[in-house]
Order: sequence, then structure tokens, then C-alpha cells
Amino acid sequence: MIAATHMNDVTELPLTDGTIALLNLRAQIEGLEPDVRLGHATIESRVSLIDLITLRGLIIGYIADYQRADEMAEQLVCDAATDGTAFVARARTRAVFHRFADALDDIDRAERLGLNSETTNGDRAAIFQALGRYDEALAIREEAADRRASFENVATLVGLYAERGEVEAAERLYAESRRRYRGVSPFPLALLHFQLGLMWMNKGRLDDARTSFDAARRCVPAYAPAQGHLAEVEAELGETESALARLHSLAASSDDPDYAAQLARLLRDAGCSQFRHWCRLAATRYDELVASHPEAFADHAAEFWLAAGASPDKALPLARMNIEIRKTPRAYDLLARAVAAN
Amino acid sequence: MSDHISGPRAIADPVTDITDVFAFPCPESPEHLVLIMNVFPYAGSSACFSDAVIYRLRVRSVFIASNRRAFAVAAEEFTFDCTFDVPAGADSEGQPVQDGRCTMPNGETVLFRVNDENGGSGEGLYIFAGQRSDPFFLDGPMAAQTLATRQLAFKQVGSDRLYGKNVLGIVLKLEWATLLKGGPMFAVVCETLTSGKRPIRLERVGRPEIKNITLGAKIFDPVNRDLEIRDLYNNEDAFNLSEHYVGAYRARLNANLTFYDGLDGKTGWPLDEHGNHPLTELLLADYLVVDASKPFCEISYFEIEQAMLKERAHITCGGRWLNEDVVDSILTLYVNAGNGPRISDGVDGPIAWSSRIFPYMAPPNRLQVAS
Repeated sequence: MIAATHMNDVTELPLTDGTIALLNLRAQIEGLEPDVRLGHATIESRVSLIDLITLRGLIIGYIADYQRADEMAEQLVCDAATDGTAFVARARTRAVFHRFADALDDIDRAERLGLNSETTNGDRAAIFQALGRYDEALAIREEAADRRASFENVATLVGLYAERGEVEAAERLYAESRRRYRGVSPFPLALLHFQLGLMWMNKGRLDDARTSFDAARRCVPAYAPAQGHLAEVEAELGETESALARLHSLAASSDDPDYAAQLARLLRDAGCSQFRHWCRLAATRYDELVASHPEAFADHAAEFWLAAGASPDKALPLARMNIEIRKTPRAYDLLARAVAAN
Repeated sequence: MSDHISGPRAIADPVTDITDVFAFPCPESPEHLVLIMNVFPYAGSSACFSDAVIYRLRVRSVFIASNRRAFAVAAEEFTFDCTFDVPAGADSEGQPVQDGRCTMPNGETVLFRVNDENGGSGEGLYIFAGQRSDPFFLDGPMAAQTLATRQLAFKQVGSDRLYGKNVLGIVLKLEWATLLKGGPMFAVVCETLTSGKRPIRLERVGRPEIKNITLGAKIFDPVNRDLEIRDLYNNEDAFNLSEHYVGAYRARLNANLTFYDGLDGKTGWPLDEHGNHPLTELLLADYLVVDASKPFCEISYFEIEQAMLKERAHITCGGRWLNEDVVDSILTLYVNAGNGPRISDGVDGPIAWSSRIFPYMAPPNRLQVAS
């Protein structure tokens, strides 16, 4: 029997195994690449490819994917300078690298080229949220959810309330968004669990954070940020062995230095000399990334120099740069710690 | 494109996106009927079927109603449910190894391995599942241009965006007299559904180019000019449309079919006194109709329906064969009702033709190319 189309009582839906989903994400990318390489792709399929590569970068913690998506978006804007969707695609990749002002300019440009605000507002709200302009982000998100309470619209509200630390609203909307999910892809639910995990972590509720990060990991075992945060929670809870196992695997597979930095800190705290290897690796990589994408990596590099990197003098200018880019509570906290350490 | 990328949900997860459905008498053995369901447009080599999806092929006996304007569909249904495991390791080329099973109407289960050319077999059934060359072809950009300019925009030599692309195919070759009751005319619908205790329909496809060419355009619709109707349509049971939305589908079909009819400056399909296009009710019955008692035929899509409208007996098997240039058939049907020259989109074939031997569809394109 097929369940009624518009029922609202679905609490558990089967999801595609995370390994299959990742293979299929790769297959989608492979399927679109030949036309782009040969210059035969439509703007729509080029935008899709940029989004898919960005998603893969997000899931497996692969900065090279972000960089490739960024280059493709730049090229797309050159090739399709009168198409608003090209500018929205570039706004997304610019936002990934924390170039928020440029990203907002692209959104404005897309609207001048004819895209309506209903199409662009989701991306604008994401940038406002990243900038800590929560009230403006909330107004857009709530209006979208009021107009159409789809999974996507409710899930973005979860992320926003979670970041603001409004536990009750985030939990309520989390349940609501899960009820509204009508697909089998595990990625959207993994991202949802992850957002909730961050909220619990910020609240110091480590057991709840572990549950959420573990739920995200179970959706997509290769989800690097979920594994990384799970390791962080485990380390906080004294489960060092498990945390080290996760971080060794992540530091070896990801080109994001955060995992090597986290691993170095744990090894140092455990008195293990191996920490120097990972510390050097992270330091080199942060220096490269801060040179190429200062806005995106200033905060993480500052965190590193304050912790395992043990060079607070290098952390301070990065923390100052970060607060210029976005005035979020986390940015103020980072700056305060950097000042105190110097 | 046929049913590729046919709505927001399909775009979000291609593993549930049905691209095409085919139904034809077996060219090798007339006692068999062949049913094919393709999913995953633009599939790269690592594409796998989802372990959380039921890939369902539904078959019912169908008759021509006494008024000869519609089909009467039997209540009894025969379903073939294909489900897949999580891949267990990789083969020598590094591709995932995935097993599947097909549950037949009699409850028997046939096991098979994805991409195994020999497929699996059970009592009266052969099955293949795996990656194949996408058999569909169309000049999509010019189809869109036709809508934008309100003029037939196809060129003599078109450009096929699906050229060299692959899909995941499921091919059933079944002894229809053994596994199905009734007949010899059958209605065929394919669906993707969530697995679990309460399956939810994600997509359904019967005829080609219903959701994209026929239903997709909003601009002519006098009722719902801002409604993306395709996900709603995908939710529906093809054999039992919900009364809540059928009016919306009808209005969209009437508007869009009237647009296509006007493209040659002549009225091939006069509307009835209520403004209904003569094809609307037939297309709302969105399933492939195939006559298993007729011999295999290369060009047969919609012939049974056209014969019915002209109150004559059909002469072909109907249904749909893999190599038919179905877009030309549809354009000709919609624009001049078959009373004028055949209208071509300028694309006359895929990168590789399907064969008349199981599993019919051409092997996957290893080196993907653009047209």
C-alpha cells in the first residue's frame, strides 16, 4: 500500500546508504564534467556541477573541491555575464571562502539581471547568517517558511536558531523538518543533524552533541566535519583513543588542516612526540591557505596558533582580520582569547 | 528530455529520477514481453541503485472502453519490485559490486548482480540491471526555444545533450501468459518509492515527455501560471488520480497541447465545447499501452491510442521500443495530429542503437562525449 501523499506523520524514512550516496554524488559529477570540459554544457548544468562539487567538498572535507568550484564559478560568470544564475553560483562559492561582501554584490547583480528575490533570498540569508546578521537572515528565512513550509525552508531555520543558541525553537523546527522530508538522500539529514550538534556543543551539552554528530555520521560515514566534531566531543569526554582514531583517519584523507591541528593538540596533551609531525603539517597548510584565501582561513588558523601551534603572536592579526570580516559571537570570543594570550 | 530531471525532487536525487519507460513484445520470442525502466540521468561510472528505494514496474490488463475514447483498466495488478543491497566491495575495475532482487507478482524472488550481462532468471522471468547507454535522444535546447519563441525552433541537424550519456537500466523479459493474467493489452507504469513499511511514491512514469514537454511549461496555463506541477503529478497513482489535483493537470494539458497544436498555424485538434483538447484525457491516463499479442514493431508509440481515436482497430503492438524517435512521433502528434509531414527535432538517433537481443540497451559509454 502506498501512503497518502500529504501525510504529516512520517517520523522515520529510509535513507540511501551513505556509501552509495557518496558514490552517486561522484557519479553525478562525472556525468556532468565531459560537457563542461568540451564547452557544450548549459549554464544550468554548469551551475549544478559547481553545486555538486561544493557539496562533495563539504562532505569529505576537501578544500581542493571548493577551490575548483570557485574557479568554475569565476569562469561561468565570464562566459555568461548576463545570466543571473551564474552570479548566484559565484556568490555561493565566494561565501564558502568567506568573501561575504563580494558574495552579496553577486546576489545584487543577479537581481539586476532579472532574478527575483524569491530565487536569491535563500542565498542572501545564508550570507547574512554567516556575517552574524541574524535578524535579517531570520526575517528572510521565516518569510520563506511561512510561504512554503518545505523541508528545505524549515531546515534552514533550524540552522539559524541553532546558531543563535535558541534551543527550544531549534529542536521544535528540527522535528518539524524531519517530518517534512520526502527524499531518500542522506545528505540533507546529515547536515541537519550536524547543525544541531554544533548547537549542543556550543551549549556545553556534550552527550547531546555526540548523539547529533553520530546521527550525521551514520547518515554519511564519510562526512568529515561530523567525524571531526565527534572526535572533539570524545576528546572532551576523555575518550581519547576513539578521538585519536578518527582524527588520524581524517588528517590522512582530508586536505583541511583542521584535522591535523586537532590531532596535534590531542597528541601533545597526551605527551606523544608524534604531535610535532602533525603540527608542522597543519602549520604549513594553514600558511598556504591563509595566503590564498585569507578571509576563509583566518579564524581556523588563529585557533591553531592559539592551541597546538603555540604562537599567539601569529594568532592575533588573524583574529583581528576575522572580526573585520564577520562580527559573530565566535569571532569576538576568538579575538578576546588572542588578545589575552599576547 | 523524456522524463529526465522531471521536477525538483527528481533533480535533488537522480537515483530516484526515472528517465524513461519502454514496453515491447520481445523481438526474439513473442511469448515474452519486455519492460524497461531507466533511472539516473547523466550517470557516471560509479552510479549505484539506492538501497532505500523500491524500483517498481506495475502492469494491469487494459481494454478499449465502449465509447472508444479511453481505456478501461482492470483492477487486478501485477507488480515487479526491484530492490538493491549496499555494494559489497569493488570489481577488478574498481567499480562497486551490487546485488539486487526482483520480487515477482507470485511472490517468488529472483536474485541478480548489477551489470552482469547474463542477468538473473526465475520462473518465466529474465532480469538485467545495470549501467547502459541512455537510449533517449532530443534537441532539448530547441524544445525550450520553441516554448520561448512560440515557434518551432528545431534545426535540420539538432544537438543532443544526452549524446554519450549513461543511465541505470532495469530490464525485465517476462512470459506474459504465465506471469500476468488477462491481456493481451497491458498498461505499464514504473515508479520509484521509498522502501520500508509505508512506501512513499517519489516518481512515476508511463508515457515519454509528459512532465517535461507536455506539462512543464507554465506560461500558457490560465489557472496555475506559477505552479511547478511536476512533483504533485509524480506523487499520483497513475491508475487512480487524486480528484484534488486532476483539474490542475487537465488545465495545464489543455493549455499546452493547444499551444503545440497552433505551431503550424492550423488546428489539428479542435477543442470540445468545454475547451478540452481531444488528447487530454488520454494523456492523463499516463501509462504505456502495449499489445503483447502483436509482433514486435520498431515504430509503434501511441498507435493503439490513435487507432482508438479514429475508431479503427490498431495494427501494431503499441508500447514503446528503445530505438523509436519518440520525440518526432510526439511533435508530429501534437502539432499536426499526424495529418501533415513528420516533424523532426533534428536528432535522429542516440550514440549507440539498442539491439534486439537481451538486455537490448547498448553497453555504457566508457568515454563520455558530447555531441
